Amino acid sequence: MRGFKLFRPATLDEAVALLPGGRGPAEPHDARPLAGGQDLLTELKDHLVEPDALVDLTGLHELEALEVGDALRIGALCKVAALEHQPTLRAHWTVLAEAAASVASPQIRSQATVGGNLCQRPRCWYYRNEAAPCIKKGGSECFAESGMNKYNAILGGGPSYIVHPSDLAPALVCLDATVTVSGARGPRSLPLEEFFTLPTEGSIVRENVLKANELLLSLDVPSLGAGWTSTYLKARERGSYDFALASCALAVKLEGERIAAARLVLGGVAPIPWRCPDAEAFLAGKPNTPETWAAAAALATKGAEPLEHNGYKVHLAQGLVQKALRRLAGQEPTHAGGAR
Amino acid sequence: MSTTRRDEELSWGPREAHTVLHHDTPRRSGPDKVRGAALYSHDRRLPGLCYGVLVHARAGVGPVEVDLAPALALPGVLTGLQLREEVSFLGQAVAAVAAETPEQAADAARAVVVALDESGGWSLTPEAALAAGAAQVTRRGNVSGPDEDGDAEAVAKALERADFVVEAEYRVPVQHHMCLEPHGVVCDYRGGDTATVYASTQVAFGIPGSAAEALGLDASKVRCIVHHMGGGFGSKFSMDTPGRAACLLAKALGRPVHVFNDRAQEFLSAGNRSGSIQRVRAGATKDGKLSAYAVEIDRLGGVGRGAGNPAPYAYRAGATHVATRSIRTHTDSSRAMRAPGHPQGSYVTESVVDELCYGLGLDLLEFRKQNLPEGTWHRQLERVAREIGWYEHPHRTAPGRGDGWTAEGIGFGVSMWGGGGHDGAECAVRIAKDGSVTSSMGVQDLGTGVRTLVAMIAAEELGLRAQDVEPRIGDTDLPPGVGSGGSVTTGSISPAVKVAAHEARLAFAAHVAPVLGCPAERVTFAGGKVFDAQTPDRGLTWRDACATLPGEGLSGYGKWRADLQGSGVHGAQAARVRVDLMTGHVQVLKMVCCQDSGLVLNPLTWRSQVNGAMIQGLGQALLEERVLDQDLGIALNAQLQDYKIPGCLEIPELVALIDEGDTREVPIGVGEPPVIPGPGAIANAVHNACGVRVRSLPITPDKLLDGLAALRAGGATR
Repeated sequence: MRGFKLFRPATLDEAVALLPGGRGPAEPHDARPLAGGQDLLTELKDHLVEPDALVDLTGLHELEALEVGDALRIGALCKVAALEHQPTLRAHWTVLAEAAASVASPQIRSQATVGGNLCQRPRCWYYRNEAAPCIKKGGSECFAESGMNKYNAILGGGPSYIVHPSDLAPALVCLDATVTVSGARGPRSLPLEEFFTLPTEGSIVRENVLKANELLLSLDVPSLGAGWTSTYLKARERGSYDFALASCALAVKLEGERIAAARLVLGGVAPIPWRCPDAEAFLAGKPNTPETWAAAAALATKGAEPLEHNGYKVHLAQGLVQKALRRLAGQEPTHAGGAR
Repeated sequence: MSTTRRDEELSWGPREAHTVLHHDTPRRSGPDKVRGAALYSHDRRLPGLCYGVLVHARAGVGPVEVDLAPALALPGVLTGLQLREEVSFLGQAVAAVAAETPEQAADAARAVVVALDESGGWSLTPEAALAAGAAQVTRRGNVSGPDEDGDAEAVAKALERADFVVEAEYRVPVQHHMCLEPHGVVCDYRGGDTATVYASTQVAFGIPGSAAEALGLDASKVRCIVHHMGGGFGSKFSMDTPGRAACLLAKALGRPVHVFNDRAQEFLSAGNRSGSIQRVRAGATKDGKLSAYAVEIDRLGGVGRGAGNPAPYAYRAGATHVATRSIRTHTDSSRAMRAPGHPQGSYVTESVVDELCYGLGLDLLEFRKQNLPEGTWHRQLERVAREIGWYEHPHRTAPGRGDGWTAEGIGFGVSMWGGGGHDGAECAVRIAKDGSVTSSMGVQDLGTGVRTLVAMIAAEELGLRAQDVEPRIGDTDLPPGVGSGGSVTTGSISPAVKVAAHEARLAFAAHVAPVLGCPAERVTFAGGKVFDAQTPDRGLTWRDACATLPGEGLSGYGKWRADLQGSGVHGAQAARVRVDLMTGHVQVLKMVCCQDSGLVLNPLTWRSQVNGAMIQGLGQALLEERVLDQDLGIALNAQLQDYKIPGCLEIPELVALIDEGDTREVPIGVGEPPVIPGPGAIANAVHNACGVRVRSLPITPDKLLDGLAALRAGGATR
């Protein structure tokens, strides 16, 4: 492994100054922020990135906070495990707690941070293989497009067909979270939905709007409000320590026998958390029946263009949407196997 | 209670008479393993140890040039060597470098320049190997065979007369052994004419010869130690490339060297279970007879031949024809893996059996019994059927469809194996004057509980508790053991330990008889006491009896005896699954195995073996598959993220039942047979649940969802 300098700044200003283009003492030209290290250290060991320096953020204790009140404020350094165990969060932001509980393994969740989870790099096995110089690593080709693409995108793909691997991202987008990032000119906030970028937007070698000298600082998550419930379903080949084949973050507001409003975001099917506005609009005011669920599911995958080996993801995403609607309708049987 | 019959009358006796054997006994190494105190070969850290790392070729095969100079210039690097001139498969090791630290060695391995002519291309998949103009794996081409067996004409006639015929192609991908401890050795050589090799191996006594050859020493001067090893499953019968590299580097440096594969190297170059493509034509008559079974089998063993797949497995068919060929690819050769060839044969046969039953509307269990020899399998199938709830199950002659959301189904499979031992194992049992007892045999413990058995058998014979006997194993300075493969270990070592302990007991009886004032024949060893059988209330404690021994104590020596072990086992398994019809996820709810294996010496470790095998079968059924990219010439899942093995959440309720109908009073090995029926039973349970026949392993959500969509569209199931 290539050697690197390790900086351990005590303040946010020091940290930002150490990133590329900053005024830091050593002026390394390829410094990377290090938080829980659950993705970056793997990338280093697999020789996917070889930075000069790492800027260890774990001294910035002000970014660890998890404030639970009428709204949520989540610091970037808050551990993923903290989201699954907080009782108020579990009760009122269920989709987020369930998404957190579905991430990787208990050991990883106790070390991984929320900011790191949102900024993690793709899991595509071509990207993760040093020997495949793919478009995500600065090459010219997406090998998955015509290769072994069972795990790749059916929506929003091209010229790269990665899927965004985060479980927290669909849940937080579903909750209309706002993200605050720190750049050279101070902090700015934007809807989390606008944080993630398609391969055709921004840099092909990034998955979000962050520049190399910017840090994700915190998330603000409003309350869903009275009458809303939410859930996160994740389909995977193995029950733990596996990324989503597809996932579904759903929040609904029920009024009697009808669905008053819904928010629906799919994970694991596109390079970004995939919001489903057509399905959301369709569900508003509809009777809460299996027929409604099936029709909404079909709308959720509208525009899907499967590759050779991932056509099943259309059925899978639709199945998850129906299961999630059924669960929030209170009609799920107790065994509830399958997607946990 | 033990008597003092003469050696020639020696037997294990009725199982209900045992006080140690046939009783659950925790494995001796358990506490050390849980505490991390058990030293595996990979854990050995010796004074002056340096670390070697193998350099693997990337894409490409053919002559290779290796430039070590850039590596040798790096800090801490001690030496390097080229291991071969020609690369024959993807990821083969071509060189090794040694350095002061593992990190320095890893950096050095990356710095080695490997020049491989890629212009000839490569054939990584069977499709690529069969394509026109394919890169040739052997000078005689990419296909050997077919070898044919059976009567093709008889099959054709029987198929004409059959009431239902199945024609289908089944595929089984390459599965990996997934040893938790990778292949490798620590070679302790510091110049001079002796060496000690700490190997992760399933044949300790096979190591000194090959290590000595690499070191240029006499085999008698090389000792192999395997105190604990982390799994072999058939892949660790030699020192392998890491072992040879360690010895060559140690010889060059005159220092101890540690060389083990990393995980990626394990996937690419440490063997695998061969894949298989099977094109079947089978027929049955409506009275429930399997009348014809013909299959063309393509063995996918990489540069090797691949394992043979028995067909139609344990079943009797009116006419059979089997044509087998090997398709060679530029991938690592398959090796023996837990019941080589059998899971592939069993999965396909059991699947076809169910397809025939459904075609004719016949009961899945009754059809099996009708076409299997009477006796053991019938009894075992009925046992697992009761345990899994078959007789209350609604879908016994046709698959179910579920309630639109989920569906439950049941499947069956059977197994057959040998499991007998062979000559070669010897044991020394020594009783010291202070009452301590050692039972010594150099055999390795593959993880099956051999160490515990070596103590238990001696304890039973001497009327002691298992913990009163100290087992010494895993060392070629001890009496010889056998290699652990083919489920032979128990059948090979148990007679030798039994005889050795018996000899020690006879000698002790003769010594202590005058003290007890009775003839030696009446001296009895039981409950930690030594007494005259006619006066069981009196006598000596074990310790007091031992105190009468001379200073050197006494010992007994034993060798293998054929009459103290057996062979030939059968098993049946049933699986119950729930299929999520929305997500294609298969949750195995329960697996049941009923298995005969003679006298079960330690039921606790026996159940562990059977449970572990069922889990490994579940992995093959639902998760495991090697994935290669023929165009790029790379392996896509040579890591544990994407090569998925079962985790806690996959593991169902497991029920391991000793077949109580087996009355043989001799031990037989059980390592392999319970890994065989799982894939077939699970695949059948999936089909039974929802009507989708997935004809390739693993049964993953993508395949199942495609099958469910086809079923809804009214098309054929796949």
